[in-house]
Amino acid sequence: MEIFVQSVVSGVLTGSLYAMIAIGLTIVFGVMRIINLAHGEMVMLGMFGAYWSYTLWGIDPFVSILIWSPLMFLVGMAIHRFLLRDVIPKGELNTLLYTAGLSLFVANLALFFWTGDYRTLNLPYAQWPVRPFGIAVPIALAIAFCMAIAITTALYLLLSRTDIGRAIRATAQNSQSAALMGVNVKRIDTITFGVGTALAAAAGVLLVPSLYLYPTVGEILITKCFVIVVLGGLGSVPGAIAGAILLGLVESLGAVYVSVAYKDTIGFVLFLLVLLFRPSGLFGVGRS
Amino acid sequence: MTLLTVSGLRKDFGGLRAISDLSFELRKGEILGLIGPNGAGKTTAFNLITGFIPATAGTALLEGQSILGLKPSAIVKRGIARTFQVVKPFRNLSVLENVTLAAFLNEPRRVRAEEKARATLERVQLSRKIENNAGDLTLGEQKYLEIARALATDAKILFLDEPMGGLNPTEVENACALVQRIRQDGTTVILVEHHMQAIMKISDRVVVLHHGVKIADGTPHDVVRNRDVIAAYLGRQAA
Amino acid sequence: MKHILAAVGVLILFVAPLLTNNSFYQHLMIMVLFWTLLGASWNLLGGFAGQVSFGHATFLGIGAYTTMLFYLSLNMSPWLGMIAGGVLGALVALPIGLICFRLRGPYFSLATLAVAEIVRLVALNWDQLTAGPVGLLITTLPPLSLGGHAVNWESKIPFYYIAAALMLFATVLTYAVSRSRFGAYLTAIREDIDSAEAVGIDTVRVRVSALVLSAFVVGLAGGFYSVYFRYIDPDAVFAISLSVEMVFIAVVGGLATTAGPVVGALVLVSIAEVFRERFAAGHLIFYGLFMMLVIRYLPEGIWGRLRFLLGLTR
Repeated sequence: MEIFVQSVVSGVLTGSLYAMIAIGLTIVFGVMRIINLAHGEMVMLGMFGAYWSYTLWGIDPFVSILIWSPLMFLVGMAIHRFLLRDVIPKGELNTLLYTAGLSLFVANLALFFWTGDYRTLNLPYAQWPVRPFGIAVPIALAIAFCMAIAITTALYLLLSRTDIGRAIRATAQNSQSAALMGVNVKRIDTITFGVGTALAAAAGVLLVPSLYLYPTVGEILITKCFVIVVLGGLGSVPGAIAGAILLGLVESLGAVYVSVAYKDTIGFVLFLLVLLFRPSGLFGVGRS
Repeated sequence: MTLLTVSGLRKDFGGLRAISDLSFELRKGEILGLIGPNGAGKTTAFNLITGFIPATAGTALLEGQSILGLKPSAIVKRGIARTFQVVKPFRNLSVLENVTLAAFLNEPRRVRAEEKARATLERVQLSRKIENNAGDLTLGEQKYLEIARALATDAKILFLDEPMGGLNPTEVENACALVQRIRQDGTTVILVEHHMQAIMKISDRVVVLHHGVKIADGTPHDVVRNRDVIAAYLGRQAA
Repeated sequence: MKHILAAVGVLILFVAPLLTNNSFYQHLMIMVLFWTLLGASWNLLGGFAGQVSFGHATFLGIGAYTTMLFYLSLNMSPWLGMIAGGVLGALVALPIGLICFRLRGPYFSLATLAVAEIVRLVALNWDQLTAGPVGLLITTLPPLSLGGHAVNWESKIPFYYIAAALMLFATVLTYAVSRSRFGAYLTAIREDIDSAEAVGIDTVRVRVSALVLSAFVVGLAGGFYSVYFRYIDPDAVFAISLSVEMVFIAVVGGLATTAGPVVGALVLVSIAEVFRERFAAGHLIFYGLFMMLVIRYLPEGIWGRLRFLLGLTR
């Protein structure tokens, strides 16, 4: 029983961070109908940013997130404005391959400058887990979880209460009508991409005290992301959250109760099953 | 002789009953008009019979054989072809290629299929536009193209969904004449239309739907005087 | 014009490996043929029919493992094994197609990706069958003699001609499809799947057929891979990067054309090699950049643009 609870807690904590990454991917799809294969690299850049600012200047990642996230927001906007915007009209497949090229470019640039060594960021105060009710909870992950919740809530408020948020939701539903209502769709596209990138980088910063860091970590993350956004429905934020938690749980419980080897497979099988029986996601809110 | 028999057709979308207990017959060689106010379920009925959406209950027999539940392409092979309310031509392909694709159904060889396509395009008077991309045609021409596409499958019955929608008066005249020619050539036609004069002029019989229920079935003359029909369109006061 | 180009192409094909003694250049030529083969078979489904699969490596791996296992365990000649690889790839494509074609657009693509990953993970973990991450190795190929001479498997030349035969097969197949009713149906499905159904095209059957055909050719290529490289492991033959590369070759060459994959493979294999020479460690940085530039400035593909410039379209 204790193992079960432990697995569940573990799964939910990791899931919350997957959620941040997935939300970034899914809002970009929702607004622009593109799947950004370079999304994983944005997470990786956030991770490295936090790593270097800690290793070189001693800034705690939970603080440097305030630097890296806004910075990556700007980077994301630049990527959209100067790179993607002219490629998107050339078609979905072309855009997808373009982001694949970008992903290759960024990941290998990082590999070249920082080498493929596995790195870890060990926070002195997070060495040993706390044990509420006898369940081991890694401190770094717990803090990350809390911050992820805060950020996601802020995003929710942004989307539901502000004009920009409304404009984003309108563009996601119907960009032509939104344009007719006076929404500057191009600007919204750029802003949304910036937000997506900022979320990815923020997730990276929060994750780095808990994960191994290496330049090609984006590959695994993006594959997990795909599973999540399909589970939750492409374009749906609540779906991405639910899908992420679900994946976190499936991986965690799968590792314990089925086998460590096949735990990744379970995620994919679940993914396929959902695609077959509920293509618009487990919660039926996705759009294709 | 009766070609198509529809009985007890029903479609529920979750809690909404779009079509209730629809039954009618289509006789060979006739032109049947299907009318009703917006939202009556006309296009839904089309979609059910031509296989684009699954029916909740009921039967549809084409020459005695059940067609409900079959894939659209299978129903086309049995002899029913349709056009769409919002035209769906293969925009980036030529007019000729659009119709050739349909002709391929019964002519596996390209040369013969193209011949049949040209002949069909001649029938709908689109021969001049054969080389153009379908996407470049005017709406009226695209409607004719879609009819040609349906004809090229050698269909026994043509289901036309609002063929006159968006056409100017001259085009409507021509479309009416085309439908009559099609019938003369031996194809049975059932059409959904809002254009009252057109429907009344060319239909042999008219079926009226309202909120998914058939409220009248008879000659244009009778249907137009039917109180339920008038009430449906103009309200109880007018009837 | 087209026929002249084709004839010249075939001539070059036959003569090329004899023009050099350098086995590395011969290897590059074989890689061009190999990737043309893969790009062409992906093109059938992805270019003509517009069904973008990101899991084609599944069939490559199945072809490779089939050939290897039949040879190592059952002593079946690898040449028959290659064909068996193709057949098995095609057989597996049937259920995969029936499952995945229920989905459209990005959902279809992601489903193919999921299938590929599942197969890779199974191959990685099912030690008893595939030897897992350790992989499988062929030490010697069975002796073969043609016209009294024993084939020298140490030389690249025999492999070149086998690859050339496969590539020719794939290219001729693509050409035949493009002129047939089946090919026209694929295009219709790409353009508007509902309209395709409305003109009597059984879109499920046609798409599955295209997938099965495509998978057969990729399976053959997988068998070739086994025999040529003599070593396979799950990450070599089931990798997502292989699937993505196939797509890239077809797109860069020019979708839905017969010559596109040839041009795509030629350009990409050469460029990749040039980058590897000039930049050693960081060569993928430039490959990624190259990908971005080509998509941005030649979205219809290199051959797509050439065709247009030469006035060869329609």
